[in-house]
Amino acid sequence: MIRIFIMVLALMCLPPTAHAQELQSLLQDHQKSIAKPSRKTVGPALAALVASGLSNVPEFLENWQAKEVYSRKDDGLFFYGVKSTDGLVLTDIDAKDVVATVDPKTAQQIKPNGGVRKEIASALVQFQLSDPDLTRRTGAVDAIARNMAGSMLAPLMGSIDNEPDANLKARKEKLANYLNARFGANSEDRIASIEKIADDLSVDGRAILSQILATKFEVTEGATKANLAATFVVGKDISRSEAYDLLVSEKGLPPVLSDNELRLALEDHVEGGKIAGIPIAQLNDLTKRNTVYDALVTEGLVPERATDASIDAALNRYQIHNVFLEQDRAVTDAAVKAQSSVQTRVGVNQFFDLSLDAVSLASIYFLAAVGLAITFGVMGVINMAHGEFIMMGAYTGYVVQQFVPNYTASLIVALPLAFIVTFAAGVAMERLVIRWLYNRPLETLLATFGISIALQQLAKNIFGTQARPLTSPGWLDGAWIINDVVQISYIRIAIFVLALLFLGLLLFILKKTRLGLEVRAVTQNPRMAASMGINPDKIKMMTFGLGSGIAGIAGVAIGLFAKVTSEMGSDYIVQSFMTVVVGGVGNVWGTLAGAAMIGTFQKGVEWLNPSNTLAAQTYMILFIILFIQFRPKGIIALKGRAAGD
Amino acid sequence: MRKSFFAENPSVLWFLACLGLFTLGVTVLAEATGAGVISTSFVKTLGKVLCLCLIAIAMDVVWGYCGILSLGHFAFFGIGGYAVGMWLMYARTEAIVTQNLAERTIPPTPTEINDAIATQIFGVVGSTEFPMIWAFSHSLALQLLLVVLVPGLLALVFGWLAFRSRVTGVYLSILTQAMTLALALYLFQNDSGLRGNNGLSGLQNIPGFEAIPQSVISMAFFWASAVALGLGYVLFARVLSGKMGSVIRAIRDGEARVRFLGYHVESYKLFIFTLTAVVAGIAGALYYPQAGIINPAEVAPIASIYLAVWVAIGGRGRLYGAVIGTAFVSLLSSWFTGGGAPNINLGFYTIQWTEWWLVLLGVSFVAVTLFFPGGIGMIFEKLKRNAS
Repeated sequence: MIRIFIMVLALMCLPPTAHAQELQSLLQDHQKSIAKPSRKTVGPALAALVASGLSNVPEFLENWQAKEVYSRKDDGLFFYGVKSTDGLVLTDIDAKDVVATVDPKTAQQIKPNGGVRKEIASALVQFQLSDPDLTRRTGAVDAIARNMAGSMLAPLMGSIDNEPDANLKARKEKLANYLNARFGANSEDRIASIEKIADDLSVDGRAILSQILATKFEVTEGATKANLAATFVVGKDISRSEAYDLLVSEKGLPPVLSDNELRLALEDHVEGGKIAGIPIAQLNDLTKRNTVYDALVTEGLVPERATDASIDAALNRYQIHNVFLEQDRAVTDAAVKAQSSVQTRVGVNQFFDLSLDAVSLASIYFLAAVGLAITFGVMGVINMAHGEFIMMGAYTGYVVQQFVPNYTASLIVALPLAFIVTFAAGVAMERLVIRWLYNRPLETLLATFGISIALQQLAKNIFGTQARPLTSPGWLDGAWIINDVVQISYIRIAIFVLALLFLGLLLFILKKTRLGLEVRAVTQNPRMAASMGINPDKIKMMTFGLGSGIAGIAGVAIGLFAKVTSEMGSDYIVQSFMTVVVGGVGNVWGTLAGAAMIGTFQKGVEWLNPSNTLAAQTYMILFIILFIQFRPKGIIALKGRAAGD
Repeated sequence: MRKSFFAENPSVLWFLACLGLFTLGVTVLAEATGAGVISTSFVKTLGKVLCLCLIAIAMDVVWGYCGILSLGHFAFFGIGGYAVGMWLMYARTEAIVTQNLAERTIPPTPTEINDAIATQIFGVVGSTEFPMIWAFSHSLALQLLLVVLVPGLLALVFGWLAFRSRVTGVYLSILTQAMTLALALYLFQNDSGLRGNNGLSGLQNIPGFEAIPQSVISMAFFWASAVALGLGYVLFARVLSGKMGSVIRAIRDGEARVRFLGYHVESYKLFIFTLTAVVAGIAGALYYPQAGIINPAEVAPIASIYLAVWVAIGGRGRLYGAVIGTAFVSLLSSWFTGGGAPNINLGFYTIQWTEWWLVLLGVSFVAVTLFFPGGIGMIFEKLKRNAS
């Protein structure tokens, strides 16, 4: 590649005599390497073609690449050829008129192999950079971005000024800047480019910096002359065994024998049940095996092995440096500085991104748990079937989509319908089961569990075990991309908005309406409320319906981004319990605080240990168990008489 | 003293007599020792049911008598199973590995044997080293000690934390559920040192007894389970009789009042919680060699909820009720889900019990809670009352 680049430069400097030349004669100059191209030899020919500046070079390259160039066997001239029923139609390369229709046997089709076609394609890229067709220009820029070859710098720079499309122009400039940072002609240019990258958060920019800062190991006995990145301290920057392995490969020291290699080496030298005079029955001990091996070494039967002493000596003698492949100190200094500034900014943005994730997770937990919290607060019962109401809502959404094909419309139908379905289910459950168990909260827990397994199995029988899709409308697809690090999908934003909406709605119902007043009264003291003329039975029924209805809506929301299965409820139920218990019972703000805390904590642990979401959940639960020790009634606990058992 | 205890609790004698008769009956009918009517696999099923009955009476004590609805007792059961499983797996792998290594020219070093065992056991989770928690796995005695110690200590610490801050009622249920969920999630990890999702397997092969057929081994475990259940029953009946039993029942009925009377409620609760956890661990240690495999799904929260379901259907606050409920529901469950139950053809729809069993169980569970809070045990109570 570099060779082509130099050649391009050299040829560019030549006086433009070639302009007068015809393409055919230029091709004839390189007849052999064009007719029988190989990846190694095609370079000069391509360079000459590119340098000629002839207008029909790109066309020729394309045809060449497409195996449509033929060489006439008589005189070796090149033509474009198209096979027809009569024979091969040859077209002149310069004049572009049909020369003759000939027997295909008289002309040789030129078939460049894959490697050559790649070379041709990269030569073509620079023509395509100024192609009138926008897609081809974009394609060319894409190709350069993929390969990042230094030879593309000059053509790319040349094409920037005449680029009509503003977007593509910006991309070209950015790409040229990247290329300049890596392959620029002098240090000042490169440093200027590198400093520009310091403002860049993109993955490509970061990749360029790390490519500039690529390092290799160098083992020396003293200081190194190369561009030093760091000298490694054994045991701190590099482990002892890694360091010695490096010395083995670089300096040809005797390798460390693994226990297995030691055994295999010994097994080759068994003589009459003995090795070096020692019976093999005694060799069930590593020290003895080492002694025997050393004895074999003195006899010259096996190669030397590294011992602890020899490893120490070697590590004392040699120093291990990490050196930059890039020789120019000023450039690497600038790149290190740019890299650290980019990393700081990436870190800040990742934190921001994580906060967004935490908020979105918290909104999901809030939606899933708030219904539970209200019913728990008013009635003091835990509804184990709450998760199944979530599932019921999601399946309602799925069924609606079977009848209403328009996704937006189906969502508008599904949300209130899910509320109605689960509200009805909740009221039915309250009337039929829970009403009879108000004095026995632990048994409510078990009875609702019975309902939960029955509903789950029922859903499995009706909808099957495989996941059902709940497709989101097109305008919810994709993500809001703030920069290369921070982005959030529209669905999550929608769920956040939904959660906010419900927070507002619930607060309004509870604080501003008659129903809310009565609900609060029953929560605080059911008997007193009853004696004030409130019907606690009706209030409890309405609250249970409301809590279940919200679960149904949460189900539609969750179904939009997770799979709808009969088990989806149980995925959320324990988290919902945690949210309620941590937040405090019977309080919307408490649920909000609980959801925020659990969401933040879970994302925080995931950040510290990103590979392991299971560990994150384990730690989260342990944390909650400990948290309950300090605030047994949750973050926002009810005070006064309402707090009684 | 002992005589008077049985005299005061005739139901214990009745239970022991029934258990003895049942055990003898199975022995006479079993493949290995008698007529061969009962297959080896069914002996195993019955042995497992006995272990489940043992943890069920523990659950009954903690919930039915002391009023703590623990939704995490299967965690202790699982820990007991894992503790025994570690030894079973280690000892068996050691036997196989030593045999393989003996074919080498040079006798193996202890390190080589150890590494080979570790590779064999942990190869599936991409590790070749023994984790710390396997430090005692070479010794049966130490692992058996762990069967008792680990659940006991965990229950002690957890219970101390929870009871000290007066976490009660539904909150405590949720908290215990969180505990078993945390354990399950931890065990699901590949780097937990317990083979993650794969769990421990091949536990039905008892090292040192390879020559003895499974039919005999299953009989031995069946007997061991029966003895353990009998002992456990006597132990709990003993704990629950006398003054201590009264205090425990009083805590269930009015915790605050017992506290005001000067009893240290937390100590009683902690004692019961820990004792039942230990018994649960022992039950698990007997169960999993008969099941042959243990994996993290066994300690998932749902298992502990089912335990509460069995006890509730059998009737809380009666030890024999827990046994009856567990035996009834778990045997019925395996009959229904195993395809043993005949499908019902309604003409327009065929009810397949493999699909509808859980619906039936859920609904009947609701019905039991609503209409028969005493469970199956209530029937016996009524019979007794009618007789007297």
